[in-house]
Amino acid sequence: MTAVPDIEFRAVTKRYGAVTAVSGIDLAIPPSAFVALLGPSGCGKTTCLRMIGGFEQPSEGQVLIRGRDMAGTPPYRRPVNMVFQQYALFPHLDVEENISYGLRQARPRLSSREIATRAGEALSMVQLAGYGRRKIHELSGGQQQRVALARALVNKPAVLLLDEPLAALDKKLRTDMQIELQNLQREIGITFVLVTHDQEEALSMSDFVCVMNGGRVVQLGQPSEIYDEPADLFVADFVGKTNLVSGKVAGLSGDLVDVALADGTVISARKRVPLSRGEAVSVSLRPESLSLSAPGGGVLKGVVRNRIFLGSTAEYAIEIQGIGSLLAKADHVIGQGNLFKPGEPVAIRFAAGAPLAFPHANNNGTNQREDQHAEILS
Amino acid sequence: MSETGYKPDPDNATGGRKSAGSQPAFPMRRSIFRKNLMTALLLAPATLWLVVFLVLPFVAIAIFSVGERAPEGGYQAALTFAQYANLPARATAFWNTMVLAPVGALACLLVAYPVAYYLALRAPDRWRLILLALIVIPFWTSLLMRTYAWIYILGGRGIPALLAYVGIEDLRLINTPGAVLLGIVYGYLPLMILPIYVSLERLDRRLLEASADLGATPLSTFLGVTLRLSLPGVMTGFSLVMILLLGEYLIPTLLGGGKVFFIGNALVDLFLQSRNWPFGSAIAITLVLVSVVVLIIANRISTRLSGARRVDLI
Amino acid sequence: MPKSYRDGLPITPDKFVDQLMRLKRGSISRRDFLGLTGLGVATAVMARELGIMPAPAYAAENLGDRMSIATWPNYHDPQTFENFKAETGVAVEVNVFGSNEEMLAKLQAGGSGWSLFVPTNYTISTYKKLGIIEPLDMAKLPNFDGKSEDVRFTAEGTIDGTIYAVPKNWGTTGFAVNTKKLSKPMSSWKEFWDTAMTEADGRTMVHDYQLTTIGNALKYYGYSFNSLKQDELAKAEELLLKVKPHLFAVSSDYQPSMRSGDAWMTMCWTNDGAQLHRDIPEIAYVLGKEGGEIWTDFYAIPKDAPNKPAGYALLNYLMNPKVAVKEHLANGAPCTDARVNALLPKEVLDNPILYPAADLLKPLEFGAAATLTDPGRAELMARFKSA
Repeated sequence: MTAVPDIEFRAVTKRYGAVTAVSGIDLAIPPSAFVALLGPSGCGKTTCLRMIGGFEQPSEGQVLIRGRDMAGTPPYRRPVNMVFQQYALFPHLDVEENISYGLRQARPRLSSREIATRAGEALSMVQLAGYGRRKIHELSGGQQQRVALARALVNKPAVLLLDEPLAALDKKLRTDMQIELQNLQREIGITFVLVTHDQEEALSMSDFVCVMNGGRVVQLGQPSEIYDEPADLFVADFVGKTNLVSGKVAGLSGDLVDVALADGTVISARKRVPLSRGEAVSVSLRPESLSLSAPGGGVLKGVVRNRIFLGSTAEYAIEIQGIGSLLAKADHVIGQGNLFKPGEPVAIRFAAGAPLAFPHANNNGTNQREDQHAEILS
Repeated sequence: MSETGYKPDPDNATGGRKSAGSQPAFPMRRSIFRKNLMTALLLAPATLWLVVFLVLPFVAIAIFSVGERAPEGGYQAALTFAQYANLPARATAFWNTMVLAPVGALACLLVAYPVAYYLALRAPDRWRLILLALIVIPFWTSLLMRTYAWIYILGGRGIPALLAYVGIEDLRLINTPGAVLLGIVYGYLPLMILPIYVSLERLDRRLLEASADLGATPLSTFLGVTLRLSLPGVMTGFSLVMILLLGEYLIPTLLGGGKVFFIGNALVDLFLQSRNWPFGSAIAITLVLVSVVVLIIANRISTRLSGARRVDLI
Repeated sequence: MPKSYRDGLPITPDKFVDQLMRLKRGSISRRDFLGLTGLGVATAVMARELGIMPAPAYAAENLGDRMSIATWPNYHDPQTFENFKAETGVAVEVNVFGSNEEMLAKLQAGGSGWSLFVPTNYTISTYKKLGIIEPLDMAKLPNFDGKSEDVRFTAEGTIDGTIYAVPKNWGTTGFAVNTKKLSKPMSSWKEFWDTAMTEADGRTMVHDYQLTTIGNALKYYGYSFNSLKQDELAKAEELLLKVKPHLFAVSSDYQPSMRSGDAWMTMCWTNDGAQLHRDIPEIAYVLGKEGGEIWTDFYAIPKDAPNKPAGYALLNYLMNPKVAVKEHLANGAPCTDARVNALLPKEVLDNPILYPAADLLKPLEFGAAATLTDPGRAELMARFKSA
């Protein structure tokens, strides 16, 4: 890629006293991309965003915007704009004054006609035409979100930063806004950097997902890559739902390993990092990669404990002797009455390459991972 | 995508709440009565206090103000507006007060704002309480004592004596307009700092970041956001100090050498020296009316500045 | 009066605290700022705590355990009240006031709570007229001896042959000058006012008190100190308004400013003059040769006194020459009682500030009752202060 990245982190570390929030990050965000910084709270994603915005200075390393080192450049001189968490709209100004706030700061000064025109365009862009004279506290959450967007975009920034922009909205609005943000990004064609802890949001909206954990970038890739080929156990677990099963490496053959599970069953899994024989591993099994059938054959045998019918799919919690509970997801095809009932014994199959084996508890996200696993299953 | 969900829907806003009205009214009325009784009981002490210590004295003063001065001083019943007609005799005192009050409040504001700003937005958390306490604690001592202390600081044995060591002789600081202003700023500072501090403390810091993010320099951010949003606190402090300054007589007397005559001094003299109670009462009533007008104006300004939301001053 | 005032610059913490304590005790100076700032009612409790000692058989009557006196600041030896309490079990609460007008205002309003107070000569007739004071029962004041009193100073306490008030001490109203700053010798009110506008510009103080400030301005033109004549008062007003911008202060709390060197010249009462000169020899006390005020302070008992027995007991105690002499040594004003003068040390009796030469005393006038209640003088004073 020859284009200068819109945002570039070079060995960026940020410490607050004894606490290291961001630790040695190298990252390049290509132009015109929709990038999500995804991770659990405290992973450093917001700190990264704030370093781009200029609200924090890196303790070490450089942050570059369009190839320019931003060290010492205050927020008001950076070619980026942010949509703040809970929007941070000015309560003493009306909608139009909020939107034109940035334009009025421009030097050389813009004519008041130009300010009015651009503010009007921005209002239309977020479908709030006619709302210019409203007070902020008269708007709904969704409308405030749009004002925040318009207020940032009206300045034509090189990069738009979004800090958990949808967190305050209800689910229906959130889904609408996800689509709208995607459309906006495509229309305007500038880079959007979104910070979120919601993996669904990250996967659904962005071109690239940058998964962060413990102040480091764990994986950067397209959403499908992140989902299908997680770099480590943390990503596998954090992004999407998965089943984690403990085992030991029983045999190695190329990309594949044989893993002996607690009940003695040996399954074939792909490895993402080198493993050695006898090493304790966690195997990630995506629920949708499990297929269920009537008893007889299959890799694992279990009993349906719960069934959650979701229309197009059904989810099953299956109790497997000696291993524990596994979550399975099956497409539901109309007329094909293949729903299993709680209490029914089933056989579980999966393709040979579907399970992924990771070294057991070898990174610093272990505890979190287990917590989240518990959440997913609950 | 559909937008209807975001637009205000007047039907929906009040919808589905109409059935309550069709309930039998009797139990409602009874509970309202009980609620009113409770409210009345809760308000009784405050009301009594107000009646005994505010309304009754005010009525007494109003009655005095249409009376006459007895030959040996004091009050003699009458119904005359002569006292009010005589108000121009204290025009200078009124004028001095109307200048002192806003100027004093402004001087107080100019000192208080940076302090409140530092406390609310800059001071390290662990120091904030200590610094606030340092501002409030002197307030526990009588204003008289604290003002008297300034007589010694500004007097010939205080700062001028120190300056004499470096060759500045016979400098007079006490009994000057500057000394009065200093005393006023000093005496009323906490009353100005605290409301401004509270409004700045409540200020959403992200608004400042948002402003910077949108290209505003620190100065523009201060003027456009910080100052603007702290104006309710500023107005509260300003009107509080100003109302008190309308009745101020102690500081000008002690630090100004009694050479400048304020309406408070006029009142003290009329009641305690020449014992012209009716005239004093007429002035007191006028002062109260002026204070009310000042409060109303301040409230108007404050309401306008802070947007639609009402701001209560005191 | 602490002599530490004289040593060293700047004020030490000790001295400052000392000053504050004096302020609390209300002993800054006669008619001090407390009174002039309307806080005369601020009460300094000297001996408020209940008498622990049992009341001795001092008198047949029950004196109770406390009483209240209204007087001038720095006017008594605090030990006097301690001793009185030790003897009688009555604790004395001391209220200090700034002016006669203020005392009158408080008594007129009623409920003052005083059982004894200290009015100045020219106010007594008004108190009598208003029915605020009662004739003294001389049988209860065996220590008082009318024959030993100087009639010049005591006459106004007796109205139509009835004694309403007995004298405490007398004095004059002149002016104090810091001769180091103003070396030109002065001997008249004309010089006082002229100097105030020239050499002592910004360094002169006049009382916040209509009687003396207007009275001494009248003396500039040779008019009576007590004049109520329109044209004479108009002249005095003209002078006062001309002098006003040149003044350091309009305040009767002049001792601190004279001591600190901020003020160089001030209208001054005898006792303050004596105290200032004693501590700072370069401060001289001058009587204007045109005349001015001579005064006597009296003791009287309000009609509504809550504890008359104790009021009489304290008054009788104060009339004891052995007690009175200590009072006079503390306050510095000359005494009206020959028995007391006989006990005073020679240097006190020889002090020309206390006992001026006869030719200086001759033109002095006692304040006239009419000035106390005259609205014209009150308004003139208000115009002067607000100018």
